[in-house]
Amino acid sequence: MSRSLVQLGYFTRTALRGLRSSPITSAIAVITIGVSLVLVGAFMLLLGNMEGLLDRFGDDLYVTAYLDDALAAEDQRALVELVTTVEGVEHVRMVSKEEALERFRAGVGRGAALLEGLDENPLPASLEITLAPARRTSDGLRIVVESLDGLPGVADLASGQDWVEGYLRAVALIRGVGIGLGVILALATLLIVANTIRLAVLARDDEIEILALVGASRAFVAVPFLLEGLVQGAAGGAAALVLLLGIFHLVLPGFEFGLEFLLGGVAPRFFSGAEAAALVGGGASLGLFGSVAALSGGWRA
Amino acid sequence: MTRGGRSSRFWSRDRRGVPALESRGDAAIRMFHVSKAYGAGSFALRDVSLEFRKGEFVFLTGPSGAGKTTLLKLLFSAEQPSEGQIVVLGRNIARLGRTAVPLLRRRIGVVFQDFKLLPRRTVEENVALSLDVVGTPRRAVRQKVFAILKQLGLQHRRYHHPLSLSGGEQQRIAIARALVNEPEILLADEPTGNLDPDLTLDIMDLIASAATRGTTVIVATHELSLVSRYGKRAVRLDGGGVVEDSLPPGAPA
Ligand SMILES: Nc1ncnc2c1ncn2[C@@H]1O[C@H](COP(=O)(O)OP(=O)(O)OP(=O)(O)O)[C@@H](O)[C@H]1O
Ligand SMILES: [Mg+2]
Repeated sequence: MSRSLVQLGYFTRTALRGLRSSPITSAIAVITIGVSLVLVGAFMLLLGNMEGLLDRFGDDLYVTAYLDDALAAEDQRALVELVTTVEGVEHVRMVSKEEALERFRAGVGRGAALLEGLDENPLPASLEITLAPARRTSDGLRIVVESLDGLPGVADLASGQDWVEGYLRAVALIRGVGIGLGVILALATLLIVANTIRLAVLARDDEIEILALVGASRAFVAVPFLLEGLVQGAAGGAAALVLLLGIFHLVLPGFEFGLEFLLGGVAPRFFSGAEAAALVGGGASLGLFGSVAALSGGWRA
Repeated sequence: MTRGGRSSRFWSRDRRGVPALESRGDAAIRMFHVSKAYGAGSFALRDVSLEFRKGEFVFLTGPSGAGKTTLLKLLFSAEQPSEGQIVVLGRNIARLGRTAVPLLRRRIGVVFQDFKLLPRRTVEENVALSLDVVGTPRRAVRQKVFAILKQLGLQHRRYHHPLSLSGGEQQRIAIARALVNEPEILLADEPTGNLDPDLTLDIMDLIASAATRGTTVIVATHELSLVSRYGKRAVRLDGGGVVEDSLPPGAPA
């Protein structure tokens, strides 16, 4: 209705006046919301980056099948054929004993002198098995490894599976802690906003009474308070975003080692536009629900 | 406006419960054996039956504590009667729901004995309140507020805050807020109590002119000189009861 549009101006002016009339209480509410959201946002960033790493890591995911030395050349070729038909396998590449030695030499450089004393090449031939994109997950990997296990001529299987599972467990743990923390902080934030708005209602109860006497509806009285909560929440969200951005660009580069450990050298990524908007919107919703709680708690126009 | 339609709809709803109250169509307010007790046994009003016609100008007189303020409060549903029925603008006060009370109050302008201005808002914003609650567009609000403040000689005060003004100025702001939305009923509780004699007459003329435009005006006052000067109907209360309800000699009934 056009009337609500007309009244939006009044509501905005009244809400801003309310915020200005109690700057300290409002500032405390904004700061508390901001701090809560910085913590939640930090968890979101950490998780987002770790999950992103898993995605990228999946591209390099392959299984190495070490072959029995006793396996004859033609059996090796048959094995390659067989493995290629295994469900979930995209591509198989044969690495001969000689190639393995070459790679080893190239890898260890001068340390290759170690091998000089040996008259026989100790490295086994192997198959490098690339997974179909749909199988590049921890579960997909496990299924493929199980199908390969026990094939005649396969002496041993190696995959990043243990590592991936450990990493996934870490991600799940961090997510759990993050969700738990998020819920607790959201509740605390709701309480703080509710309290701030309740104080504002008390400070202005004379005003509320007079508004009612000149014919203001409950909604007309309530909306500026709801807007106040919303603005506080959104401001807290925006403050959190700015703080996180500052930490991300100014503080994180000082912790290269820790980042290397967590993300394996992948460059950390900040929030996307939508994620950033979600953080601010989350703050705004917390503020809004906080003031709804304050107003529904036994308040009468 | 849909006012006529709206009130007649509610009118028919009220009809079932209070058949005696809607006998006269031109009554703005009907009070039927109304009593009000704030505490047990002490009656601020007792067995008051009165009728105020549309466009009527009535003085409500009586000594301090007679029940004048109480009577006015019942009319805009700031208090509920302990007994009896009140119909205001076709609506039975006792049956107004939570959403209907504000709707009725928007049709009634009230000048409170203690002004009830918002100290944190400017004079302009205070007067604008009656228009803001009904969603009047901002431009129209500014124009109407300016016009009424000018009529009351307060346009130069519109950006001041009420507490920085004199009692008489605050009173006029309260009057401006009550009149700015052209209410169907104007209830004024001692509206000239803080004004000097010249200003009193100006303000009373302004209030009386609302009645000539069809507004039902009820003015509670101690000042009997005012009552005799205007020669209008005067209802005198004492001890919560109506002790006199008189038209001046020669006035049309
Ligand atoms: N809120 C209240 N609680 C208890 N008693 C009240 C209340 N308001 C008024 N009264 C009592 O009701 C009686 C009528 O009061 P009311 O204010 O209606 O008188 P009045 O005619 O307006 O007086 P005045 O001319 O001094 O304004 C008085 O005895 C008063 O003490
Ligand atoms: Mg009084």
